[in-house]
Amino acid sequence: MSMKKLVAVAAAAAAATALSACGGGSSDDADSLAVTMWGGGAQDAHVKTYFDPWAKDKGVSIKQDSPTDYAKIQAQVTSKKVSWGVVEVEPNFANSACAKGWLTKLPQEVIDKAKSSGVSEEQITECGIPNLQYTFSIAYNTDKFAGSHPKTWAEFFDTKKFPGKRGFWKYATGGIFEAALLADGVAADDLYPLDIDRAFKKLDTIKKDIVWYDTGDQQTQLVASGEAPLVQAWNGRITQAAEEGQPVANEYGENLVSYDQVVIPKGYSNTKLATEWMMWFLDNQQAQADDSALSGYGPASAEAVKLVPAAKRKDLAGDPNVSDKSAATIDYVYWAKNYDTVTEKLNGWIAQ
Amino acid sequence: MTAAAGTEQYLRRHTGSSGRSRLVRYLRVDSWGALVLPLLLFLLFVFVVPLVVMLQRSFTDPSVGLANYRAIFASSLYVRVLGNTFMISLMVTAVTLLLAYPYAYLMTIARPKWRMFMLGLVLVPFWTSILVRSFALILLLRDTGVLNTTAQDLGVIDGPITLIRTMQGVVFGMVQIALPFAVLPIYATMRTIDRRLLAAAEGMGDRPAGAFWRVFVPLSLPGVAAGGLLTFIQALGYYITPALLGGPKNTMIGELIVQQVSTVLRFGFAAALATMLLVTTMLLLALASKFLNLEKMLMGRS
Repeated sequence: MSMKKLVAVAAAAAAATALSACGGGSSDDADSLAVTMWGGGAQDAHVKTYFDPWAKDKGVSIKQDSPTDYAKIQAQVTSKKVSWGVVEVEPNFANSACAKGWLTKLPQEVIDKAKSSGVSEEQITECGIPNLQYTFSIAYNTDKFAGSHPKTWAEFFDTKKFPGKRGFWKYATGGIFEAALLADGVAADDLYPLDIDRAFKKLDTIKKDIVWYDTGDQQTQLVASGEAPLVQAWNGRITQAAEEGQPVANEYGENLVSYDQVVIPKGYSNTKLATEWMMWFLDNQQAQADDSALSGYGPASAEAVKLVPAAKRKDLAGDPNVSDKSAATIDYVYWAKNYDTVTEKLNGWIAQ
Repeated sequence: MTAAAGTEQYLRRHTGSSGRSRLVRYLRVDSWGALVLPLLLFLLFVFVVPLVVMLQRSFTDPSVGLANYRAIFASSLYVRVLGNTFMISLMVTAVTLLLAYPYAYLMTIARPKWRMFMLGLVLVPFWTSILVRSFALILLLRDTGVLNTTAQDLGVIDGPITLIRTMQGVVFGMVQIALPFAVLPIYATMRTIDRRLLAAAEGMGDRPAGAFWRVFVPLSLPGVAAGGLLTFIQALGYYITPALLGGPKNTMIGELIVQQVSTVLRFGFAAALATMLLVTTMLLLALASKFLNLEKMLMGRS
């Protein structure tokens, strides 16, 4: 093959590669809403109960993706090719991404609607409204602690009275610092800004008994097997495992309320459709209640809890059975500011 | 065949091709050489370009300069975790090779039916997700797991022996993932070794063990080097298995890089960490090739 030919082949191949790379951009059809959530059974429940019925009424279609990926949101927004419409995120990300200009500021009518529909005010922010609530609470093995079990974080940290390993989420915003400070005697109202050093000192006292988990499956496995008979867990997971007959239960004493938010990445072509859905969602308490009955997550609105069948209600964040015992709601404004530095400290402390 | 190849190598070595002419021979492309173009282009787009972007971001994101690298050394965490990563990878490689070598040898002398069975045993785990396998190992190895409860029921041990959330847990978990990558190249090399060479060595008076160590083992080293290298490089990037089966002190750098990219969103810092890993790996390999003739072992060329 002559040199000329070779160059020609190479050029053609390069051109073809370049072309196919450009052709990948998706063209959003005007009558669909792209929904991205964390995936799994929860997402199925959310879509079935509060996206599909709306889409059917409206005559549009729902395009699903999962799981939420913050790096992808950033990449989409900065490259101005936004294909995600409504995205479920953690509120600390919603706060910092909002400040960075990656998210659409919600129209005033959405904010007003949220406030008037029984959604807790601290969970409504410029760019996001909550779509569900849950708690970081004490999960315990009912075989190991048949008589009595820890009812406060102080007791959770008391390895003499309640021997056994403790499971924590290896994640700065997973409630571990809040629990440690409450256990150390900090009043719930004085939690924030968190005294991270004091929390580490308290955590030092049980460090050798800590087992870290990364996933939801791991935490139920830990409690149910008795490997770590006490775990700071997501209540919905434990409720589900208990319903399946596993020897686990939730203790809601001093539970920490957390929530997810739905946001709209800036530059999404169907932003109007996305905000219309938000209005419908906030108005539609029954849809929220249906989701709770199916997913085990508490609804965004306190009013919606009352519409959930009684048997399912007692384990939902937002139900008096749970909320009367809540110590605090995770302050995601604090976490938006401090997530990076505390994460680094936590990594260092764990590896020490 | 082996003898012919040996002769060719001998001739090549002794006809005195200078460094320059060898280079020219490497670069000369005939028409068949064009076949390599698609792969070259592919590598250029999916490997070289992203690598350059990563390097560049590590120096420019969020600001131009060495800030990301300074941040790595400012905290003892990253250097320690990087050290951990290499330590664990080395241990995993050593254990993997120790297990893979006799297994591969057994495969070469087994009957075809058994050889297929052994090959299957190595390959089947390949088709199962690493996450699933790691979870299965947890069920097996945890304090309340199958091994511990069985041993306790049989009265072999009094209390549970901690098998996971320790260094052993990580090594155990990673070795079972790495095993196929070591067994296959070693087996492939061993299969091509001419058994008559062993017979010849014995015929010349060596004991069977001597013939094995002096003839078979050296000839199988290219496979060992390839398997070891594959295992080591792969192990450097593991993080799910160590996170699930290891203790808090067994964090590997991959876990921190993923954390930076997926939750902290400091891409420049993540790029710097990845660059550190890459550079250290290359330095280590360069060092290793000073002592072991890696090129010869891998290519069978001097």
